[in-house]
Amino acid sequence: MARYLLRRVPSALLVLFATSVLAFVLPRLAPGDPAVTIAGPDATAAEVAAIRADLGLDRPMVTQYLHWLGDALHGNFGTSYLTDRPVTQLLLDRAGSTVQLAILAALLMVVLGLGLGIIAGSVRRRSARSALDLFSTTLLGTPPFLSGLLLVLLLGIAVPLLPVSGEVSLFADPVIGIQYLLLPALALALTQSAAIARLVRSAMDQARGEDYVQTAIAKGASDTRVTLRHVLRNSLSSALVTFGIRFGELLGGAIVVEAIFARNGLGTLAVTSVNQRDYAVLQAITLLAVAIAVITQLLTEIGLAALDPRIKLESAR
Amino acid sequence: MTVDSQAPAATAGPTTPRPTRHRTLRRYLGALRRPRGAVGITLLGVLVAAAVLVPLFSSGYDAQSMNTFAGPSWAHPFGTDELGRDIAVRTLYGLRIDLVLLSAGVLTAMVLGTVLGAIGALSRALGLFFQRVFDIIQGFPSLILGMVVALLVGPGMLALSISIVIFALPGFGRLARAGLLSQERREYVLAAQTMGIPRWRVLVRHILPNTIDPIIVHTAIAMVIAIFLETGLSVVGLGIQPPEPSLGSLLNSGVRFLSLAPVYVLGPAIVLILLALSFSLLSDALNEEVLRK
Repeated sequence: MARYLLRRVPSALLVLFATSVLAFVLPRLAPGDPAVTIAGPDATAAEVAAIRADLGLDRPMVTQYLHWLGDALHGNFGTSYLTDRPVTQLLLDRAGSTVQLAILAALLMVVLGLGLGIIAGSVRRRSARSALDLFSTTLLGTPPFLSGLLLVLLLGIAVPLLPVSGEVSLFADPVIGIQYLLLPALALALTQSAAIARLVRSAMDQARGEDYVQTAIAKGASDTRVTLRHVLRNSLSSALVTFGIRFGELLGGAIVVEAIFARNGLGTLAVTSVNQRDYAVLQAITLLAVAIAVITQLLTEIGLAALDPRIKLESAR
Repeated sequence: MTVDSQAPAATAGPTTPRPTRHRTLRRYLGALRRPRGAVGITLLGVLVAAAVLVPLFSSGYDAQSMNTFAGPSWAHPFGTDELGRDIAVRTLYGLRIDLVLLSAGVLTAMVLGTVLGAIGALSRALGLFFQRVFDIIQGFPSLILGMVVALLVGPGMLALSISIVIFALPGFGRLARAGLLSQERREYVLAAQTMGIPRWRVLVRHILPNTIDPIIVHTAIAMVIAIFLETGLSVVGLGIQPPEPSLGSLLNSGVRFLSLAPVYVLGPAIVLILLALSFSLLSDALNEEVLRK
């Protein structure tokens, strides 16, 4: 376990470090001098120099980076050029919407992924198997925003069951809130759940060929018992290890899905900040998204290493 | 690769029979005969043919008319848009742009990734360095990476191409390096080395042909990733910009008129799903037929 951590943690830290450097450098790659922009067209050279000193732009890059990183770790991401408000405040205003969406989507992703995978791995009829295979391959090839669009067409416009635009916080009104949340979360979850389903299925197929399953069948264990106790239990770890990776992509997908469903979350904020070249905001969102993605991935792997003795053996080799 | 036919068994060696080009080709064709491969290649073939031939039976993608937001009809199977342009025709022109952009991006990533992988296999230090760079790229959710690029170079075609190459690079780079390293101790490599052939030449002429299969098979999945990136970025307005048609930019316009003309998004949506599906099916078939042997 310790050796496994030793191997994985440095790589995760490196990704975080590189992302922080990239996020830090981002506004500095922009054309133009921020001090000149802030000072305005009529400013004298002395005024520009004063603003530059005020922003700390006259200090060496490394000092600036460490200063910026210290601030960021304390939750201070500077001021938005566009709205002149603290970036942290902007993020906090929007975070609730995205967090609700991501949590429900992650739950749906796991439930649907496992459900679909277990069904596909359990049915025997050839035609049913092929149909399920084609279904999950099609889902896998449908980007989240497109599932979202089709869900809107189907359940919002053709058969108006659920609201398709806007949002109500779960905390303000849980019953209405979940109606607004359901379609975007489902859209976000479908593609990723297909990936999990395919892994569960192929792991189950592989497990069925193992000797211990043959032994269980020979001992006269029922079909259900063989599937649940022997096949499934040994197939789960390989599928869940992708949860971390899938969760990161799910966060990225949220950007587009929020735009489709006109939700006022971090994704919409990110798109606006790219269009308006609001570097400070995108800097913070990038850092947060990558940090969450990397940490989730690391935690899933650590969790699995703790559960699955085989991973320990492999890393000790 | 050409000596097999007359070479005595001693040099070819019974343990590592080197496949001829002919046999390699046969394995790829075998993949296309599997049900998934056959469906995949047929779908892709129809889509490519439609994209190539569309100028022959239409008067350009920006032919306007007064007939705006028309529903589906025989003349306009997927209706018309806000300027009365035929959506089916615009979708196929969009597909043209996408096919060129995506294949160019993926092929660039393939070549660059293979070169980086080969350098990484030759030099341990550079190899480790590239592996870490790939770790960093893969730490980013693809759309976040695309947004950062769009912020730096401005939204548009260039941002999209750069994002596709960067994001597809790690897959190819890792496969190339792993493949090359796994062949390093094989007899035919040692034989070539003993004959005094320079190391890079052994790599390119002898090892690379034996490691190229996983790389070729990976292009199918890389295409799916690139499709997701193009449409995802374009649909929020950070990729290809309307009025330039692409599957993503058409969906972007379609979303704006969703309540007014729900049919608008159907054409590009169906083509997008079929395109991604064809590459996924091809990838599955190639994985089973070419790699599992």
